[in-house]
Amino acid sequence: MRRLSIVLAAVGLVAAACGPTTGGPAASSSTAASAAPVRGGTFILALWQEPVTLAPHYRNQTAANVAARVVTEGLARTDTDGNYVPWLAKQIPTTTNGGVKLTSDGKMDVNWELQPGLKWSDGDPVTSADIKFTWQVWMKDPNTISRTGFDQIESIDTPNDTTAVVHYKAIYAPYPLNFSDGLLPKHVLENVPDIGKHDYNRKPIGTGPFKITEFVAGDHITGERNPNYRIAGKPYLDKIIFKSVPSREVAVAQLKAGEINGMWNLLEAQTPDLEKLTDIKMVITPSPSVERIEMNTAKNQDMTDPSSTHPVLGDINVRRALIYATPKQSVIDKLLFGKAKPGTSPVSQGWASPKSLTQESYDPAKAKQLLDQAGWVPGSDGIRSKGGARASLSITTTTGDQTRERVEQILIEEFKNIGVELKIQNQPSSVLLSGSWSAGDPRKRGSFDLVMYASSPGIDPHSVVFQRYYSKNIPSSANGGNGQNYTRFKNADADKAIEEAGATLDLEKRKTAYATALKLLNDAAVINWMYERAGIDATRVNVVGWQGNVWDNITWNTEDWYLKPS
Amino acid sequence: MGTYITRRLLQAIPLLLGISVVSFAILKAVPGGPLAAYESNPNVTDEDLRRLEHTFGLDQPLPVQYLGWLSKFLVGDWGYSFVSHQPVLGLIGERLPNTVTLMGTVFLTVLVLAIPIGVLTAVKQYSWFDHLVTGATFAFLSTPTFWLGLLLIIAFGLQLKLFPLGGMATLGMPFDPIDRLRHLILPVATIALVQLGSHVRYLRASMLETITQDYMRTARAKGLSERSLVVRHALKNAAIPLVTVVALDLPELFVGALVTEQIFGWPGMGRLFWDSATRSDYPVLMGILAVSSALIVFANLLADVVYGYLDPRIRFS
Repeated sequence: MRRLSIVLAAVGLVAAACGPTTGGPAASSSTAASAAPVRGGTFILALWQEPVTLAPHYRNQTAANVAARVVTEGLARTDTDGNYVPWLAKQIPTTTNGGVKLTSDGKMDVNWELQPGLKWSDGDPVTSADIKFTWQVWMKDPNTISRTGFDQIESIDTPNDTTAVVHYKAIYAPYPLNFSDGLLPKHVLENVPDIGKHDYNRKPIGTGPFKITEFVAGDHITGERNPNYRIAGKPYLDKIIFKSVPSREVAVAQLKAGEINGMWNLLEAQTPDLEKLTDIKMVITPSPSVERIEMNTAKNQDMTDPSSTHPVLGDINVRRALIYATPKQSVIDKLLFGKAKPGTSPVSQGWASPKSLTQESYDPAKAKQLLDQAGWVPGSDGIRSKGGARASLSITTTTGDQTRERVEQILIEEFKNIGVELKIQNQPSSVLLSGSWSAGDPRKRGSFDLVMYASSPGIDPHSVVFQRYYSKNIPSSANGGNGQNYTRFKNADADKAIEEAGATLDLEKRKTAYATALKLLNDAAVINWMYERAGIDATRVNVVGWQGNVWDNITWNTEDWYLKPS
Repeated sequence: MGTYITRRLLQAIPLLLGISVVSFAILKAVPGGPLAAYESNPNVTDEDLRRLEHTFGLDQPLPVQYLGWLSKFLVGDWGYSFVSHQPVLGLIGERLPNTVTLMGTVFLTVLVLAIPIGVLTAVKQYSWFDHLVTGATFAFLSTPTFWLGLLLIIAFGLQLKLFPLGGMATLGMPFDPIDRLRHLILPVATIALVQLGSHVRYLRASMLETITQDYMRTARAKGLSERSLVVRHALKNAAIPLVTVVALDLPELFVGALVTEQIFGWPGMGRLFWDSATRSDYPVLMGILAVSSALIVFANLLADVVYGYLDPRIRFS
């Protein structure tokens, strides 16, 4: 373990000191201010994906998170400005307020205080024992999706009913959101050997504004007002129903027909149609998802040797030329109806986002010039070559994605224009994005030239930056296919910056370190950041309180929602 | 007859085992796998993926995975969904009534309509009615259900606003048979129109063959009314091939309609299969495949037995 005396210096977390004591971030919502809220009514929200489980440690679908958000709550969450704010906790523990203590042996203690008087929806009190129990289940249940963070915890002490002291094995910077997926009720699950078989899977007992009263698989999930909700007078709605619909198109039709009040997650292509309607409004929220084209710098072959060099993409001039030849803005205008922004880095939102970072912008003349200078000479068919290597590349993305397939067509034309041949070699997402060495993910195995897909970091970008751009995380047969550094990017300075960012709690230092690493990544021109996608949701116009949150699901503030009589 | 049925049942055992081996192999041969769903989750690490792979038993050799599934399946443990972590039997159990409602309505609708239409088209061969029905049945037979379903939604749901756009019931209301019926009409019409075509064609062909038989001429010569001739003498014989067709429809009652359930958001077995297939949820898929293959094998047996009973010329040996 690294010994870090530097971090003992003054450390400040964004918004740490000023968190509201009770009521959570909901109180800051601007929408409640206007007219007097209307109490009562049923809100029907369409999901085109069917939530299969609402248990916090089993959820892996966005739709399930959207539904479960009204029930399960954690210790802290993220507000609309990207600040950590307390949820069930009294405040965010920091080194400044004494909630976080770094011990001399390089470990870390986090002291969480629960708000007083919290109750589960069945009336039992929420205690610090539930916090400890949550960690235990997360580590014990073999079906838990991700143990990230929880596996850094050594032990948890519960000196009294409202205090839990979490002992981390080492400094763990993303601790504020460690318990944000939802606390598990000890009194309900303590003696349950297999939560998969338990009713909790579908009707979790939580602390949120609603409690699940009905779960009809494949059809709908009903939440009714939680009588034990901690904020008096809320939620305004009597009921919220999550309706499974077969597709986004059907959801749009039902929204137009007034059968539903709101829908989650539209495609950009659906926006022009809805913009014309006066009884429907859209909420567009930036999202951390960044579409990118990753370029393989090692040889394109199965179980590639990471130290090998790609005959074409091994040359940084080619990689830079390809980025120069990509018309991002026109792709956004034509294919995404202007609802996206050109990308510059994998961390597009939040405190860690390096806002000043740039990338080569569209300039085909510059691209040609670069290739000429580097000795890539056009042949009789216009395709360049150098030393026997022909500038012919394949591009792989997920099959059946119309937008991506059209982007490929545009790139074929643009790249041909600068003398680079591009061939489409798409694969189903279950293969391309399997993330599994044994399932033959070409990104893992290194059997690709260019691969186009989207990925998003959490508000604390550490695990993503570490997994994807740290040199030890280059997957190869030697390391059992570990890591997601698919471009085989290797830079000692970037490694050092990433290590630094993970070993301090000082947000300013971490931010600088990420900026350094991501700048080096862009300098190496291994990833072409295509565009930053927005989250698009839509409601009927009489819906009040619906507000996007970059780092949270659209249902993050349902306690504030109400329906104006129309 | 008893020994015949016993023999057929015994034969079904290796057949069903064979089907399960092939199903398993095909599922596994599909590239990708259940872990793909976790890739986009920024919190999921390689360590998590390897743990889940182990929990699901995906790290074992295929024959071991298959035998593990089979040995549990035979004692009634159908396993757990990889995605919802719920028992497969429970997942199937909650979808089955919905599918039986949908497909049972289709089944009855088709039978009630197919018999009179099939008979009429045969009796009035080459009449305008026959031409109309023949044209229509061919049109529906060659229409893909996904297209027909969407067309019906656009016409009767979106434009005319006569029926709801999908789902099984109006949300937030107590159960109401009229409401259920309104939700049933479009999906039932989608499947029934296509099935009706084939059943009418069967019955028409079989009727045409029957009414030109010698015994029909004899009956007519005896002075029987045309009505009793058709209903009592012709239909009885002509309907025998239809029995086979209908018996073979029976598995669909439980297996559901893959495409139609998807289009109309009907929470039945077809939709469960579809969703599980897109997620490579092997335990659920194997459960449904086992049920459907068993149903098909037994429906075949049933068809043969009933056929022999109705037609004494058929001998079981």
